[in-house]
Amino acid sequence: MTLNRFMSTGVRRRSVLGGMAAVGAAAAMPRRIRAQETITLRWWSPQSSPEQLAAYETQMRNFEAQHENVQVVFERTSDEGYAPQLAAAFASGDVPNIVTHLPSFAVSDYWSAGLLEPFNDVIDMVGPENYYEGANQIYEIDPGVYAGTGIGNSAANMLWLRTDLMEQAGIDEAPRTWDQLRDAVSRMQGGGIFGAPLPYGRNSMTSLIFIGVIHQAGGQVFSPDLQVAIDSDETRNALEFYRSMREYCPPGATNYSWGESLTAFVSGATATGIYTGRVLINVANQNPGIADYIDCVLYPTVSEDVPAWTFNDFPSVFIPRQASNMDVTKQFAAFLFDPEGYIQQLHAAPGHVLPVLWTISENPEYLDNPIIERYTPQVDLMAAAAAEGYNLGWESQGHQPNVKAGEIINSNVISEMVQRVVLNDENVDQVLSDTSSRLEEIMGS
Amino acid sequence: MRILRKLGFNLFTWILVLLVAFPLVWMILTSLKPQTELFRIPPTWLPETVTFEHYWRLLTETPFLIYFRNSVVLATTTTVFVVVLGAIGAYSLVRFAYRGRETLATLVLFTYLLPSVVLIIPLYLMMVELGLSNTLASLVLAHTTFALPYALWLLRSFMEGVPEDLESAALVDGASRMGAFRDVILPQLLPGIISTALFTFILSWNEYLYALVLVNSDAVRPLTTGVMTMLISAFNIEWSLLMAASVMMSLPLIVVFAFLQSYLTRGFGAGAVKG
Amino acid sequence: MATAAHAGHRLERRYARLGVFLIAPTIVVFSLVIVYPLLAAIYLSFFSVYTPTLEGEFTGADNYIRLLTNAAFWNSLITTLIWTVGTLSLQIVFGVGMALLLHQNLWFRSLARSLVLFPYFVSTVVAVLVWRWLFNDLYGAINHGLMQLGIMDMPLDWLGTMPNAMIGVILVGAWKYFPFVVIAVLARLQTIPEHLYEAAKIDGAGPIARFFDVTLPQLRSVLVVIILLRAIWDFKEFDLIYLLTGGGPVTSTQTLSLLVYQEAFALNEMGQAAAYSIGMMLVMLVFMLVYIRRTAREA
Repeated sequence: MTLNRFMSTGVRRRSVLGGMAAVGAAAAMPRRIRAQETITLRWWSPQSSPEQLAAYETQMRNFEAQHENVQVVFERTSDEGYAPQLAAAFASGDVPNIVTHLPSFAVSDYWSAGLLEPFNDVIDMVGPENYYEGANQIYEIDPGVYAGTGIGNSAANMLWLRTDLMEQAGIDEAPRTWDQLRDAVSRMQGGGIFGAPLPYGRNSMTSLIFIGVIHQAGGQVFSPDLQVAIDSDETRNALEFYRSMREYCPPGATNYSWGESLTAFVSGATATGIYTGRVLINVANQNPGIADYIDCVLYPTVSEDVPAWTFNDFPSVFIPRQASNMDVTKQFAAFLFDPEGYIQQLHAAPGHVLPVLWTISENPEYLDNPIIERYTPQVDLMAAAAAEGYNLGWESQGHQPNVKAGEIINSNVISEMVQRVVLNDENVDQVLSDTSSRLEEIMGS
Repeated sequence: MRILRKLGFNLFTWILVLLVAFPLVWMILTSLKPQTELFRIPPTWLPETVTFEHYWRLLTETPFLIYFRNSVVLATTTTVFVVVLGAIGAYSLVRFAYRGRETLATLVLFTYLLPSVVLIIPLYLMMVELGLSNTLASLVLAHTTFALPYALWLLRSFMEGVPEDLESAALVDGASRMGAFRDVILPQLLPGIISTALFTFILSWNEYLYALVLVNSDAVRPLTTGVMTMLISAFNIEWSLLMAASVMMSLPLIVVFAFLQSYLTRGFGAGAVKG
Repeated sequence: MATAAHAGHRLERRYARLGVFLIAPTIVVFSLVIVYPLLAAIYLSFFSVYTPTLEGEFTGADNYIRLLTNAAFWNSLITTLIWTVGTLSLQIVFGVGMALLLHQNLWFRSLARSLVLFPYFVSTVVAVLVWRWLFNDLYGAINHGLMQLGIMDMPLDWLGTMPNAMIGVILVGAWKYFPFVVIAVLARLQTIPEHLYEAAKIDGAGPIARFFDVTLPQLRSVLVVIILLRAIWDFKEFDLIYLLTGGGPVTSTQTLSLLVYQEAFALNEMGQAAAYSIGMMLVMLVFMLVYIRRTAREA
């Protein structure tokens, strides 16, 4: 594989390691002979809670039942670990057949490097008419060709509230603006309960959430034609707000990522939360005592004039170009959307991953779930919010897709900016100008 | 007076020892608490209710046992591979004269300096070319990168501690070099070999980065990355399960090492540690 | 006489061949898993390489120029030095101290030894998990223990702000690796001849004088080696810091290993990452050579 690429590459772009790997291989034993009798498909995902695994199991066994001599194996990866794992896989050509639940910007990054198989065939098999309108827009990086498709939607920055604590504090309405939010959390904080679990860590969650805050201030990270636009009054405003929230967050929030933030709200340590609908099932499993007192709304913005901005990481499906057995792989990718398995997958954490097919949202079997029934308004709200959600790869309807979004998130440029201002109290102008130049450097590389 | 001094000394030392061991104690205590008791503020020092459900869940509902088996196979294979190579290599480096021997010995020391991060991608490519990707064998080879230089260096010092007369005597009696190695040197070297094996085993058992990048399927994942990806995720951090897993990852080792502990120190002592 | 010398010569040559034959497997494995990847890394460092494809252009010394002119490398180098010196000194001081205590006639001595060696046995992953749980801001035993003892009145953020994060990492590193020092020193202590102490006692030396006059000189050789070994390992340490703080807050605990990792896998700049790691190795090499030369001269 590497050898072939080495021989066929052009003059200017060349496979740097190809030749060396081939030399290394010369000393090698004969290549392992791939068993011809059964085809093995490898499926990677960072989403692997026990309930989800059970759903995947159903999907894999159902598919195997329909296809003799096909075997599907699931291999878990993680949000922090997928980058090196996929890098190694792509570099060597030893890739998984199908990868699900990575954020859409990871897809556009790999697509722009020519590493992915066009997804049009699969979308045709699923039926384009079944998707919500525009659901695949962010995967259309080159006109007419799709880099992947969504396996779901998520509304990842919902504001979760404890209605019992609100009542105690004499708050009757869910906060709509930052001022109201600050007021609410300051009144609810106390007696060992903190106001909010906002992340201040050097990690992807802090970057992703803060990008939302910039938009909630009315700002943006890039202009629609992808010029760096982060050095703005809106960002200053957002940093100021984020700094002011620090005193309402637990001391350890400086290391919070998704897991810690979620656990803080679910365990009852904070009065508000910021997460997807995963909260619902975790509360049911781990702290059923508060199940009657949780609610969610869109995250507040600087003022009523600025619309809410929902962060949807657009959990995706894609197929590496080098994957083996492409036909079966595509069939399997389409099979993931088969109602039986797909609904079980969605039910594994109701409201966490929301359907991308309207035919599923209206399917009685999907609606027949205790959590979805119990929290119907909340699930509907999240579905609507997610449908209008964005992320750094696609900041607004008018923005061009940003194929460098994945690298920007992974580089921690944004979360470092937050830490420098909030934790280290550095000069905001200086920090913003540094951040701008680092962003430009990444965009230019 | 003497008694008092002795008491004071024992008390002082044991307080220090217990401080060092406190994380172990806390790990065990936490793993016995039910999930609801974990999130109590302030924490309960002793569990109010003792439960073994976390252990049970780990053993029955998760691939923990598979990871455990992988780790055992991985660490054992690495240890055997490295110690055999190292013992023979050290014998050659210490007891034979040939050109380039000193240079080789120095080079071994320099290979310590290599950071794992930079070897990963080339190593991974090589594993794919060898048809070893996603196998325990690839991890064994990768662990060799840090384990072999260390083992070779340790065994070399141990070998220097074996009196040369013994071998000469055997040779005079008509033994071949390899015969002398087997009958005379190996028995003398045994404490050193056990000691080296223990250190290698620990290094391999603890390794995280290579395991993260080189293998992906649960069937071959070792404990370190297995437990991390299984239990620390974006959707939940199950501290009680994590602590139960930590206990189960550590206890077998502690039991084994409690028995072999004296080898660690004995071998290291015998005038062996030289540059 | 002449034939005997001749035969001896032949035997010597045969032994030399056997020696080479015995070292050969080691050399093969070394070349395969160490030398080849190393050469590949050096080669890569002259390219601008996108990690997932390993494709890119030859850029000459660009990566090295960026290494020299950019603050990132030097900041990380300073962080690495602070971490290495901090954790290493704690390891040595505490390790030697503990070894001296455990060498005495202690009640349940072998149980105490096992307990002390335990941190070195457990996986870094386990160590990090336990300490993160101990340091936890809400439910952590350390914060509440200190609060119940009245030492502080608010929970402290151990890993998220400076300088606590660096202190926390250094402490955990020291806890994890000091048993290694204990093992080596304890072993050496057992070989110090008793008559040296007797002689010192007769000369009227107290326990402290005996430590400095007898024990320390005897430990010197073993300490020289331990410091070298531990320094190299601490300098390269990745797992512990990556899992404990991930390099944060901002880049305060981002050592060179973490910088290389971030460059290679987060920014997908394999070439730059390779250049950083070559730089890192050169720094280590310089330190090592200076160290070896100085300790050799003093000896």
